[in-house]
Amino acid sequence: MTSVSKILLLLLFLWISKVNLFAQDSFDEQFNLAKKLYDEEKYFDAVTEFKRLLFFYDGDIYRYESNLLTGLSYKNGSIFSEAIQHLTLAELNSKNIDEIFIARLEIIKVNILRRTTARAFTLLDSLQNDSRFVNKIDEINYWRGWAYIFSDDWRNASSSFSAIQKDHQLSMLCDSVANDLYNPQLAKILSLVPGAGQFYTGEYVSGVISIGWNVLWGYLTINAFMEDRVLDGLLIGSLLWWRFYSGNIQNAEKFAIEKNLEKTNSALRYLQNDYKGSKP
Amino acid sequence: MRNLLIVIFLIPFSVYPQLSSFDFHSPENIKLFADHLFCEGDYLRAIEQYGLLKDHSVNDTTDFKMMLGYSKLGLYKESNKYFNGIDDKSNFYSDAYLLSLKNELLLEPKLIIASNVQSLDSIQLKSYRRITTISMLYEAELNIIREDFISPFDEDERNAVASFYDFKVDPNYKSPALAGTLSAIIPGSGKMYVGEWGDGVTALVVTSLFAFLAYDNFRTDHTTRAWIFSGLGAFFYTGNIYGSIASAQIFNAKIEFEFNDGLNLFLEQNNYFLPVYDFCK
Repeated sequence: MTSVSKILLLLLFLWISKVNLFAQDSFDEQFNLAKKLYDEEKYFDAVTEFKRLLFFYDGDIYRYESNLLTGLSYKNGSIFSEAIQHLTLAELNSKNIDEIFIARLEIIKVNILRRTTARAFTLLDSLQNDSRFVNKIDEINYWRGWAYIFSDDWRNASSSFSAIQKDHQLSMLCDSVANDLYNPQLAKILSLVPGAGQFYTGEYVSGVISIGWNVLWGYLTINAFMEDRVLDGLLIGSLLWWRFYSGNIQNAEKFAIEKNLEKTNSALRYLQNDYKGSKP
Repeated sequence: MRNLLIVIFLIPFSVYPQLSSFDFHSPENIKLFADHLFCEGDYLRAIEQYGLLKDHSVNDTTDFKMMLGYSKLGLYKESNKYFNGIDDKSNFYSDAYLLSLKNELLLEPKLIIASNVQSLDSIQLKSYRRITTISMLYEAELNIIREDFISPFDEDERNAVASFYDFKVDPNYKSPALAGTLSAIIPGSGKMYVGEWGDGVTALVVTSLFAFLAYDNFRTDHTTRAWIFSGLGAFFYTGNIYGSIASAQIFNAKIEFEFNDGLNLFLEQNNYFLPVYDFCK
């Protein structure tokens, strides 16, 4: 081969390399554009550009990350079913264990957010039982704790967080919420003494009113029997006293449930607005 | 010779990268992508992409798809704006016209007045007859006999259509005034008239009980207790009259709601009698 031929061949190779790089650039550019939109929190446009890339791109390089970020964009827009769909595609296109773990964890977080916590627990169990993720147990416990929070099971949430660290901030928070909650069954039992259940839940006015009604109808019932007006006594006792007595029990249970809802909502508000750690 | 072979061997490598160098935003690719989004059911993005196409890439198919997309998104007014842009000589004109009728019905449920029926083929005409007939149900009164009303519909639709017709002709409303009057005469009977038998019997028993207790206590000179029971009796008596009137109003609102809900569900299930457009084969 003459030196001129060699130079020509070299030039040809250089030209091919240049065009190859350029081709790679156009998909890179598209990916970077979509990623930039995602970073700027322009989720609608980010999804459009990721979808455009995925539609025209046949290779595997961008498939995982594009689907993952599309899923996260949908998640940020609270379109959870689409989010799960794309996160599942991300998991299917993952190239290593870390990518599988990240994608599945994101699916779990979406399930926590949309309160399909049974599905979240199933996926957490699958991660925990998978020997590839033995070194990720703390992270699995952390999200299990969050799944328990969204299932309104604060005791188990606390146990999950304390499995990571004895005095984990969220473990203490969950413990304090669990300790603060009223027991609706206890409220009902206490109400066998009219008003006591209401006093237990801090509803003092309602407790006093409940005592008043029960004293009034109780007095009229007993008085009727003492004066031998048996029919009066039976009717007042069965239709009025009993009505107010059973109402007092139901009322106490209702207060306990309402107060618990207030307390858990307040804890969730704190977690949403003030907690600095990772959130679903 | 060897050099020539090397060059021939390298030619595919030089062609491939040129093909891979990709213009995502050429009109053809935007249209391909928009079609893909449309078939995926991502109508909002599909419409956005069709909107990016310049005039020479837009045709009546894209216009109709945008109209269909907006309608699927529930943006009926925007959907009908595209109808105005579709030429009456277009292949999609008749379909677009039927779709505009559906949009109108969803924007404001009212009687559809006939127009533009000349261009419809037999299937479209059948759709048109059904949608206009069903729109009569949104009028205050039906001025059509039962047989004529159900005749445009298929056999499997007729039972449902006939039941809508029957409700419209005789809605079986309960009179609030009658319910109140009945309860004033016999406590609880107004509730029974509305169909709330349990509440009616309870009201009768409780009011009678208080009346008896009041009478019995007046009779035995326990005036304080007698006045308490009289007050409670009067409270339950008037409360029952008010409750009976309210129950009749709630009953009427409920059956009206169920009628509208059932009609909307029926129309949704039958796609407002429009043909199914499949652009994704």
